[in-house]
Amino acid sequence: MPHTHFTSRLTARAWLRVAIALFTVAVVVPAFGAETRNVLVIFSDNRLLPANLEADQALRDAIVGSEERPVELFAEFLDRSHFNGDAYEATLATYLREKYAKRLPNVIVTGGTYALAFITRKRAVTFPDVPVVFLGIAVDEWQAMQPQPPEILGVPMQFDYPTSVAAVLRLHPGTKHFVTVTGNSTAFDRESEREMRMATVQFGPGIEVEHIERLPTADVLLRLKSLGPHTVVYTPGYFSDGDGRYFSPRESAQLMAEAAAAPVYGPFSTFLGTGVVGGVMPSYSAMAQQGADIVNELLEGVPPASITLPSQTPAVMQIDWRQARRWGIKEEQLPPDTIVHFRQPTFWETYRNSALIALAVMLLQTGLILALLYERRLQRRTAAALEASEQRTLLAARTARISDWVWNVGGERANGDVARELPHTLLSQEPAAVDLARVLESAHPADRERLARAVAQAVADDGELNVEYRLMQGEQVSWFAARGRLDPENRQRLRGVATDITQRKVAELQAEQDRAALGHMTRVSLLGQLSASIAHQLNQPLAAILGNAEAAQKMLQRADVDLEELREICNDIVTEDNRAAQVIRRLGALYRRDERELRPVDINELIHETLELLHSDLVTRHVTVATDVAATLAPVEGERVQLQQVFMNLIVNAADALATVPEPDRALTVRTQMNGDTVQIDVVDAGLGIAGDALDRIFDMFWTSKTGGMGIGLAICCTIVSAHGGTLTAANNPAKGATFRVSLPVRAA
Amino acid sequence: MSVDINAYSIVVVDDDPAVTKALSRLLSVNGWRVETFASAEAFLAAREPDAAGCLVLDVNLPGLDGLALQQRLRESGEDLPIVFLTGHGDIPMSVRAMKAGAADFLTKPVGGEALDAALRAAIEAHASQQRHLGDTRTLRKRLEALTPREQEVLAEIVAGKLNKQIAFDLGIVEQTVKYHRARIMERMQAKSVAELMHIVARAQSA
Repeated sequence: MPHTHFTSRLTARAWLRVAIALFTVAVVVPAFGAETRNVLVIFSDNRLLPANLEADQALRDAIVGSEERPVELFAEFLDRSHFNGDAYEATLATYLREKYAKRLPNVIVTGGTYALAFITRKRAVTFPDVPVVFLGIAVDEWQAMQPQPPEILGVPMQFDYPTSVAAVLRLHPGTKHFVTVTGNSTAFDRESEREMRMATVQFGPGIEVEHIERLPTADVLLRLKSLGPHTVVYTPGYFSDGDGRYFSPRESAQLMAEAAAAPVYGPFSTFLGTGVVGGVMPSYSAMAQQGADIVNELLEGVPPASITLPSQTPAVMQIDWRQARRWGIKEEQLPPDTIVHFRQPTFWETYRNSALIALAVMLLQTGLILALLYERRLQRRTAAALEASEQRTLLAARTARISDWVWNVGGERANGDVARELPHTLLSQEPAAVDLARVLESAHPADRERLARAVAQAVADDGELNVEYRLMQGEQVSWFAARGRLDPENRQRLRGVATDITQRKVAELQAEQDRAALGHMTRVSLLGQLSASIAHQLNQPLAAILGNAEAAQKMLQRADVDLEELREICNDIVTEDNRAAQVIRRLGALYRRDERELRPVDINELIHETLELLHSDLVTRHVTVATDVAATLAPVEGERVQLQQVFMNLIVNAADALATVPEPDRALTVRTQMNGDTVQIDVVDAGLGIAGDALDRIFDMFWTSKTGGMGIGLAICCTIVSAHGGTLTAANNPAKGATFRVSLPVRAA
Repeated sequence: MSVDINAYSIVVVDDDPAVTKALSRLLSVNGWRVETFASAEAFLAAREPDAAGCLVLDVNLPGLDGLALQQRLRESGEDLPIVFLTGHGDIPMSVRAMKAGAADFLTKPVGGEALDAALRAAIEAHASQQRHLGDTRTLRKRLEALTPREQEVLAEIVAGKLNKQIAFDLGIVEQTVKYHRARIMERMQAKSVAELMHIVARAQSA
């Protein structure tokens, strides 16, 4: 039993209790007023003792006042470890009495055995009627202190060392060495020494028990340091060591726990956090809470005797989780009601929210970064694609010699310059609008009207502009093909693309020239073949002229000149001369290079003329020509000489085809007729016809059925007819021979 | 020998009316009688057989052309002299015409004098030929009047054989050959063997 010196006074205390009980109601009740109630807490030890701090805090939290009846809490510390003795206590009693004379406590709370013992002894001389609520009194102590008046009440603590030690051993099942440490001189130390010895009596032979008692702290620590495995240390701590130095039990426990090579356990919850693993401990805050409940009831005016007290302050296994881990104690070894302190929450537990937020933020950030990266990549890709596209467009445009343009066809003036906007600037930037007038100005004079008409048409119809024109740039003339449309957003503007087609035009021109040259060549060659016939054509009128002229000469030598005859002769001469001149003129036209001038052509007349030219040739070949011409024939538009070449060629071919036929059968018919909007000219021969396989090829260049033929004539005919928008076809006649049909569109009115 | 042009008629065949008209005028002025036809067929239909004169013929005629007409006339035994007139004559054409007995081959335009000369020459040549043709007929009659033996001997003589050889060939004596020979010379009115051979050749050539 601790604090044995109280025991001797039990009888006196019992008496006192009776006396106090008599006054309780009378004294206590007036003490409760509307004014502030005072609670005086007296601690056995100094202010900084961890148990005191913990209890003081718990009391202050739990003792509640109200507006009308505020509670003030005062604390006194008896500092028992350093001061004791009757004189001290007497002085202290006087001091307390004087000090709280004006603030008489309504309730006194004692912390620890000494404080209770002190107040029990000095109650009569200090605050005789004030109820006392004790804290920190062990169950056996309290029992030893009986009897007590009912105004002294509280919940005793259970310090059950054997149970505690057994619980510790359960945590370390393989323990072979059990060490207890107790102090030197204080009552607490002595009592502890005794308790330790008693608690270990029950141990079986497997466990060696070592009691370290009354040693200087340095030695204690040295010993503890050298402990081997399977060792457990149990200490209630001590106030004084073998050197007489004073500690708090907590301090001593801490020193031991820091030094020990084995787990250190103890009975007080204040040890937790010092390095001590733990032990079966009453909780000081729970204790203080119980005490505060009682104080509150007393302050409410409940008579002490009526207050229902819990039987004891619960003591449970309390563990410093860090130490448990250190000594290899698993959670499943702990009793179910164990209070685990300092469980280092996992990072997740500690920072769950922060972590979640951080994680979310990180995820968001990552997502954002990824999105940005992706975006950037997309952008770069898009940019690259765009650039590539632009490059390609530019290249394509350059290659194709394309430029885009905007022509201002409306009223307002535009500033764009044709020369700067047109050739091959491109598409990457918006071209400046150019006034139509300037566009027209820059066009070749011969193309201006056509261009203006085409633009007007496109504007009027809201249709597509599609025009080819020449652009004059100083000396240089370029051909452009412009395609465009009204800008739907600005109907004053025509927007489009121009292609530089100069090269094509040059090539076309060259091809045209080549074709014309070839046409001319074949025509001249044809005329060469016809030279005999042509000579005949010329010589006929010449013969007539000469004959007439000489006849006239002769007649003039006569005396009787028949003037009438002479006049007739002269007329004939003129006629024949004209005829000769006409032949020469026609021949001249045929020999000349093409004039490339489109004129209305009377096909009947042209056929007639052609047959005249070929007359003597056909006669020579014994070819009989029949003509079957339409009475009226609409004119076609074309180059007369070229068309004549076609007919000459067809007729000569027909005559050639008749060469193998007996002379009387050499019949050739030239027929003209209207067929809708076309003029049809058929050259029909009665020859042998065209061999089936040749029919497809006769218009091919360099294909010929004639020995010595070049295979150019019909090909040229085809080209010429096509150039006139017509067709040239060949077919065998049902009976015999073949028909070549030229169809030419009638000249547009 | 001059030609009495009044005795002859010139026939112009040309499909070109202007040409025929001009030629007709020219020839008339020069004193010729002129007939014109536009085609060979028209000429053939209207001609008088054995008419004296000359044909001025265009080579290039529709239907029956000049050369064909020449051929036709020759085949029918007509020997009217022909002067060809062409707008454009080439050598093969002219050779063919001349071989077939054309008197001349002229190219248009032809001057009056040239045409006149050609016509006169043609007519003169024809007249001369005509005379020869007349002799031949007489000669042929004389030949036909010879006895078979005399004809046999004549054939030997023309073959250039000597009397001795002839006698041997025919199985007669040389003296008889000489007798026949004298008789033949007399009957054929030949003054020499050379003339005899010429006469025989002419008679046979016709």
